[in-house]
Amino acid sequence: MGGGREHQKLTSISHKTYFEPDMQIDYLSLKNFRNYARLELGIPTGPVVLHGENAQGKTSLLEAIYYLATSTSPYTNSDRQLINWQVANDILPYAQVGADIITTERIMSRVEITLIMESEGTNRFRKELRINGVSKRRSDLLGMIGVVMFLPQDLMLVEGSPSQRRRYLDLTLGQVDDEYTEALNKFDKVLLQRNALLRRIAANYASKTELEYWDEQLAECAGVIIAARQRIIRELEGLAQDYHHDISGGREDLQLVYQPSFEPTVEGDGQQSFNLFGMDLHREMDAAEIAPQYREALLDNQKEEVERGMTLIGPQRDDLRFMVNGRDLSMFGSRGQARTGVLAIKLAELVWMKEQFGAYPILLLDEVVAELDARRRAYLLEQIKHVNQVLLTTTELSVLTNGFLSTATLWQVEEGQISPINSVDA
Amino acid sequence: MSQVLPPSVTKLIDAFSRLPGVGSKTASRLTYYLLRAPEDVSLALSEALVELKTKTQYCEICHNITEDSPCPVCRDVRRDQTTIVVVEDPLDVVAVERTGSYRGVYHVLHGAISPVDGIGPDHLKLKELVERIEAKPVAEVIIATNPNMEGEATAMYVKQMVEPLGVKITRLARGLPSGGDLEYVDTVTLMRAFEGRGDMK
Repeated sequence: MGGGREHQKLTSISHKTYFEPDMQIDYLSLKNFRNYARLELGIPTGPVVLHGENAQGKTSLLEAIYYLATSTSPYTNSDRQLINWQVANDILPYAQVGADIITTERIMSRVEITLIMESEGTNRFRKELRINGVSKRRSDLLGMIGVVMFLPQDLMLVEGSPSQRRRYLDLTLGQVDDEYTEALNKFDKVLLQRNALLRRIAANYASKTELEYWDEQLAECAGVIIAARQRIIRELEGLAQDYHHDISGGREDLQLVYQPSFEPTVEGDGQQSFNLFGMDLHREMDAAEIAPQYREALLDNQKEEVERGMTLIGPQRDDLRFMVNGRDLSMFGSRGQARTGVLAIKLAELVWMKEQFGAYPILLLDEVVAELDARRRAYLLEQIKHVNQVLLTTTELSVLTNGFLSTATLWQVEEGQISPINSVDA
Repeated sequence: MSQVLPPSVTKLIDAFSRLPGVGSKTASRLTYYLLRAPEDVSLALSEALVELKTKTQYCEICHNITEDSPCPVCRDVRRDQTTIVVVEDPLDVVAVERTGSYRGVYHVLHGAISPVDGIGPDHLKLKELVERIEAKPVAEVIIATNPNMEGEATAMYVKQMVEPLGVKITRLARGLPSGGDLEYVDTVTLMRAFEGRGDMK
């Protein structure tokens, strides 16, 4: 409200010196993606606000960008759902997301991901990735463009399930660490075989000696996974502490702790041994150090694992804990404290990505601003003003500060159509 | 459709559809081809199908598919009977034979260890391999199971069982394809190629 209704269409809000590398999406084109039959869109740098009612296509636009950067959707595991339902009855339905991106080396590249039905009538889709017209693998996409996405459900990261926190770590590491993704995929396959074998042993169809190979493979992958997770948590913690201090007015001290899976000790009446592998949690260990310890732990747990028919310890059971002043936020924290923790780790993630890529990643904020109270909202908007490219969705422009709006490009999203907004009547 | 077509036609379409890689369309196409083709084409096919099951057996030594046991490879005195290549399937024997440079013999396991599919060491011809080595001295066992997880598990198992017999055990190298381009090779293959690098001869 008040004054300054004339919004200048600034295409670049530059807070940086000109030689600093950038990373951005210059142009986006969608075909049959979600509710966009077709979209051709130039995207400016600086903040872009996507305003509109629900179910108009705001979120799909962020999803498309995230999909381009990672070839996975943050919302669904089924690529099928990404295809516009109106073309589902076409002879060969397909969807395509394409973009001209500028990588940190200042090179303009064209990235395209196409989903094509394998053969008529089936529900299987082939994913084709092309970079500058050449067919590439998913791993070739790695490191080209980084994204940080902040969704309303991320606000449940602290209070939510351990699997949500593991997924968070997996998606974040997956964007930069090819070895991690590979280890994670292989771990899942080995785990499936090992669990099947445990059940066969329990039923006397197999002998325990057959476990040796799978244990070794599992340990090798687990070593890579645990080492990478410990490292990212340590780095995120260092970055998040400052933000957390700021938001909590200096009263609270945030700690992020990687907690390997463990078994309650028998004689400790409910007391849980914190440290199963005897790992020093405050020291980073490398994969080669962790693997043999994990393997030994597997041997120690073998009897119980055979009885239960499943692998009870390992990265598939590990957790990330948010501690404030020595207390676990998921158990003892208030809702507000939990949100402060999430906000701190997301801001830390932004800087962490910047360190990995050498430039700010593209920040995607989906309806999250409205979910925060005025103070945290103002803090978030202040912290992200240096980010090169921010896309933010909202149903209410009034949740944004005037200062933020004055620097932003404003777009109205309605039924898969995007048009500029020239004046704000918030 | 079933009302229009005589049962003898649908029966063959169904039989073809059960084969791997054959869908209902291909099955129909094959059936109509046979309907129109001269009678000796289908007679030759039916004869071949019957003989496939009646005339073949596993070789008593290497367990490859053969009409006469022992199989021609195991009977061949010019071949080195003290070197054994261990493979998963009969088709793998064909692949190695195509190289034309291997002069030893084979041992076919008939599968790979995969607990998810319910296949353990007992389902493979592993015991037979041990017995074979114990009965007749062997200089080298070359493990040529597939370079995937199940193949590796099987290789590990073969190694564990053969090692106590004091036989030299080797594993086929994993690495770069010939005629390939280094820049297009995936990271895992390249890593393996580094691990398995050898002295230049």
